[in-house]
Amino acid sequence: MAAGELIRALATLAEPPHPAHAAIARALGLPEPPPPSDHAELFLFQLYPFASFHVGAEGMLGGEAADRVAGFWRALGREAPAEPDHLSALLGLYAGLCDAGAREPAGAGRILRRQSRKALLWEHLLSWVLPYLHAVSEIAPLFYRRWAELLRAALLSEAAKLGAPDRLPLHLREAPPLEDPRVGGGEAFLRQLTAPVRTGMPLTRASLARCAVDLGLGRRAGERRFVLESLFSSDPEAALDWLGREAARWRAVHDGYRAHAEVVSRFWASRAHAAHRLLAELAREAGEAVEAGEAAPPRGANPAGRPAAAGRE
Amino acid sequence: MSDGGVDLKRLRERVSAARAEVEGRGESFYPGPSRVHLASFPPKERWNDWVELDSRAWPRRVEKRYMLVPTTCFNCESACGLLAYVDRDTLEVRKFEGNPEHPGSRGRNCAKGPATANQVTDPDRILHPLKRAGARGSGQWTRVSWDEALDDIAGRIRRALEEGRQKEIMYHVGRPGEDGFTERMLAAWGVDGHNSHTNICSSGARAGYHLWMGMDRPSPDHSHARVILLVSSHLETGHYFNPHAQRIIDAKANGAKLVVLDTRLSNTATHADHWLSPYPGSEAAIFLSIARWMVANRLHNRDFVRRWWNWREFMAEAHPDLPADFERFEEKLEEMYGRYTFEYAAKESGVDAGVIEAVARLVAEAGTRLSTHNWRSAAAGNLGGWQVARTLFLLSALTGAVATEGGTHPNSWNKFVPRPIHLPRHPEHWNELTWPAEYPLALMEMSFLLPHLLKRSGDFLDVYFTRVYNPVWTNPDGFSWIEMLTDPERVGLHVALTPTWNETAHFADYVLPMGLGSERHDVHSYEQYAGQWVGFRQPVLRAARERLGERVADTRDANPGEVWEENEFWIDLTWRIDPGGELGLRSFFESREKPGTKLGVDEYYGWMFENSVPGLPEAAAREGVTPLEYMRRYGAFEVAARTGALHEEPVSAGELEDVHVDAEGRAFTRAPKPDSPNVVPLPVLDGDAEGRRRVGVEVDGRIVRGFPTPSGLLEFWSRTLAEWGWPELATPGYTRSHIHRENLEDGQMVLISTFRVPIQIHTRSANAKWLDEIAHTNPLWIHPRDAAPIGARTGGLVRVETEIGHFVVRAWVTEGIRPGVVACSHHMGRWKVASHGQNQAMATVDLEHGDDGWSLRRRKGGGPYRSADADTSRIWWTDVGVHQNLTFPVHPDPVSGSHCWHQAVRVRAALPGDAYGDISVGAGLSGRVFREWLGYTRPAESVSPDGTRRPHWMLRPVRPTREAYQLPADDPAGG
Repeated sequence: MAAGELIRALATLAEPPHPAHAAIARALGLPEPPPPSDHAELFLFQLYPFASFHVGAEGMLGGEAADRVAGFWRALGREAPAEPDHLSALLGLYAGLCDAGAREPAGAGRILRRQSRKALLWEHLLSWVLPYLHAVSEIAPLFYRRWAELLRAALLSEAAKLGAPDRLPLHLREAPPLEDPRVGGGEAFLRQLTAPVRTGMPLTRASLARCAVDLGLGRRAGERRFVLESLFSSDPEAALDWLGREAARWRAVHDGYRAHAEVVSRFWASRAHAAHRLLAELAREAGEAVEAGEAAPPRGANPAGRPAAAGRE
Repeated sequence: MSDGGVDLKRLRERVSAARAEVEGRGESFYPGPSRVHLASFPPKERWNDWVELDSRAWPRRVEKRYMLVPTTCFNCESACGLLAYVDRDTLEVRKFEGNPEHPGSRGRNCAKGPATANQVTDPDRILHPLKRAGARGSGQWTRVSWDEALDDIAGRIRRALEEGRQKEIMYHVGRPGEDGFTERMLAAWGVDGHNSHTNICSSGARAGYHLWMGMDRPSPDHSHARVILLVSSHLETGHYFNPHAQRIIDAKANGAKLVVLDTRLSNTATHADHWLSPYPGSEAAIFLSIARWMVANRLHNRDFVRRWWNWREFMAEAHPDLPADFERFEEKLEEMYGRYTFEYAAKESGVDAGVIEAVARLVAEAGTRLSTHNWRSAAAGNLGGWQVARTLFLLSALTGAVATEGGTHPNSWNKFVPRPIHLPRHPEHWNELTWPAEYPLALMEMSFLLPHLLKRSGDFLDVYFTRVYNPVWTNPDGFSWIEMLTDPERVGLHVALTPTWNETAHFADYVLPMGLGSERHDVHSYEQYAGQWVGFRQPVLRAARERLGERVADTRDANPGEVWEENEFWIDLTWRIDPGGELGLRSFFESREKPGTKLGVDEYYGWMFENSVPGLPEAAAREGVTPLEYMRRYGAFEVAARTGALHEEPVSAGELEDVHVDAEGRAFTRAPKPDSPNVVPLPVLDGDAEGRRRVGVEVDGRIVRGFPTPSGLLEFWSRTLAEWGWPELATPGYTRSHIHRENLEDGQMVLISTFRVPIQIHTRSANAKWLDEIAHTNPLWIHPRDAAPIGARTGGLVRVETEIGHFVVRAWVTEGIRPGVVACSHHMGRWKVASHGQNQAMATVDLEHGDDGWSLRRRKGGGPYRSADADTSRIWWTDVGVHQNLTFPVHPDPVSGSHCWHQAVRVRAALPGDAYGDISVGAGLSGRVFREWLGYTRPAESVSPDGTRRPHWMLRPVRPTREAYQLPADDPAGG
């Protein structure tokens, strides 16, 4: 039996809740679907289910990463939908390829289908979905935690069937690293901290809230960059240190799926490790500056380099 | 497989089972729209009470509640599924969208489907029966009751039947939109009076297919094809346009290559991997060059050809001196087509030889996944056009892509016509007006010659029905039709059954309002993919009211005004013709449940769905409804999702009794033919001399079904053609068209008129406002090289001169057409002579008939007008196109009977005094051309090998008794 149906069912559950989801959830052995507010909180405010957000250089929707995904749709001869890199769309496409492959008689056609499937799986799904699902499992309510477990299992099962890729997915090959703010400037650094592919960690609103709680700092309401700025303004050393430790924690997360997706795991782990080292170093410098009685944190340690309020949306 | 403690296999099974279970209940498992499922159809379990926000109330959020009632579009022959949104408060239809349950159209529609709403609310539509009040064509009408009209018509028909004047009753159909009801009705009357429009449409191509495989339509499995080869503008307008177009796009998405032969740069051509723009009529030369190359290089499917072509018969007849072995046949094949090199084809067609070779390579590489299709296009344009389809199918037959996945299937195998409650007898008469002796091999009725045949014979039509047909406008030579319709010596009573005003209805005695796609019952099944489905059209307001518990016994009670549906109309009319049953007509329209009473539509369709559609009763039972209720709920049912090579199917042992296999391999049996619930038309094949019936053909030692041809095989060589006067055309070949370069005079060009505007409906969209706004003109495509010498500019007037007259039209200078060829779409140029009629895309004209001939001059174009629909005051267009067909004489192909539409014309700058839309036709000229083309024929009395009018095996609507096929011994005209 093709895997398409399972993937399709899981894809559907990432869509806004609908009464019909109850039957799908039952079939998957999941709890009752949660209220729409849970879906909105998870997918609209915390963890955006778009490939471009996770593998794009800017950590934003659209851009070059989304274009690459749209190009993949077109390469398959399909019209790219409005949101080609949305997780549901990609999983739906994957399910469709599974179905088409099952219909294809043995021969070159079936081999091509399999290659398309493998390319989609590694290039546009597994290139970001494993850390994404891990993040979901950390913050989501039970329904979506279970959903994430199933999706992870289903995708890893597909990865095992189709085999590992020859090289790192293009999104990741093209992804620039986190730049040192002492070279690139604080503004860029702040932007890049919210780009998972640079830091190796998805920095959600929830994680920033956790940071504020852990450090005993006030959490100001706003978009993530604004929250980061305010944290840096309050206690740069502590904030940078916390982020560094967070990156180290994510390195371990990435190491955790090495056996199933080695090439991807190594990439993300190395990004998290590099971010950890940089952030730790910046934290140290910030601490030293405070000890030296400097009024302001060193250049780069306050990455915004300007009053925190200016970045508020 | 288990992963991380999750049993994925079990989960997959559970999801699949849950989906099957939910969908088995008739409900939706996956909701739409979503990123996973792009379809945005209301889930079917909510069709009975569907809520949408009223767009007109914006920005307020006002909920509208609808009943979604399925029906079938009537605006072309594709019969796509529609969902009528019936307002639960007002019981009015608010809009039409696609029916996702329809296997052919799969929820998708072209613009014509939703535009049904325009037709329903057309402020100028005919809502009541009308009777002529003045002279024919005077435009004076009086409203009459249905009873008055029916009694008058029935009385005339009864007298004609009682007096043995069956041939004076004729029914002339344009858009059939149903499968066989009316043909059976005519047969029940004992009347051979069915007259279709097909010879101005598809019969040329269909003749080519018929001669090959016994069945007359191609049914390509586009979605699974590797290469799609089209002779048409199929993605935009071709037959079964929407169902096929979406499957062609599916195939392209799967990597299929699309090859399009179209002289114009059509929208379809813009999607092609290879667009070939051949000189019109040269298509067969291109296909033969591909065939030659494949055979010469032994790239054809040798096993398929060896097993399924009637090559032995060919060798025995054409080369009796040679041993009948396959290798020798291949040599002969190569020799026969030796002259059709790529260079020859390039010279004939003007297409580069390298391009043709590239296409040939694609065709050869496609293997059995080559889907091909020709419907009208070149086959309808040229003398010998039927050979275009025949040579196209030659490629399918060479590759073995016949009834394969991704190949081209015979239509009858992908079509399901459910057996009705009553099957009538065969008429005992032969109608020479529709099947004249000069055209023994015509695939369909010689309908477009009717005015000339009536004039020639002096015959009279006592009752002549035109039904959703507009020959004055649609046919060539429309002025001859006006002459016929206004001549009381030729036509006694003309009854126009039509939902909308048209040019022909203007000359009728009665205009009877018939329902649109949402106002009538019909069933249909079309060969749109490699499967079988049955669609059900229904009057949606009747169905909606019945859902609310009301009982509606007469569709007129639910339709607008007094608009009726044809099923009930014909049943009622038959009962009035034969109220006591003594003529033997009534019994075919009598209830079985209540003998002695009229058959109702519920019983008619209820019986059919209960007894004749395999799987439907079971599907209905699963949902706890009757089969009729199921069809009223969903509007369609898929009988078979996949069909295949039925010719390879072994004949079951039960059908093999005292079997005899003759020298040609044809198998005969004494076992009776099992009843089939599918009564799809098929050729009638003779049994053997000892009374056995044909059951199949022996291939490689096995008795299999084979093809319904005289040989049981694919007929590369046609004994029918050879024995009926055309031995030189017995194998697929290339006939130089009447508009071949060598037949043109200096200064003449070719006019292509066989293409249409994709969003118009032949003659029923003059008041479909959405469609009219999109398309309302038909300029003349002309290449810059041809435009320059005559000073033609885009938008400027040019005069196009045909054999019998001229028309004046605006030019569109474009490189999208070959030099030396001009083109003008036939879907425009509607007109009316009186104030009544449709106003949105019909010009008001002056018609004049004098000693010099006929003329038509535009008095007023379109434009805004006041009506019950405020939108009519916003009409911004005045151009409604030019009616070019009036200036075309009849060109009946002497073999297929198809009209050959392409015209040899001269195009010049408009002369002083010429005005846009002017039409002029000289007196007597059309009759001269008719007689000239009649001279090309080889009439049955001189070529018939057995004293019959027509090969009995060939398809024929309303097939008469065998005796009626006999030519009268003493009547040289066959009449």
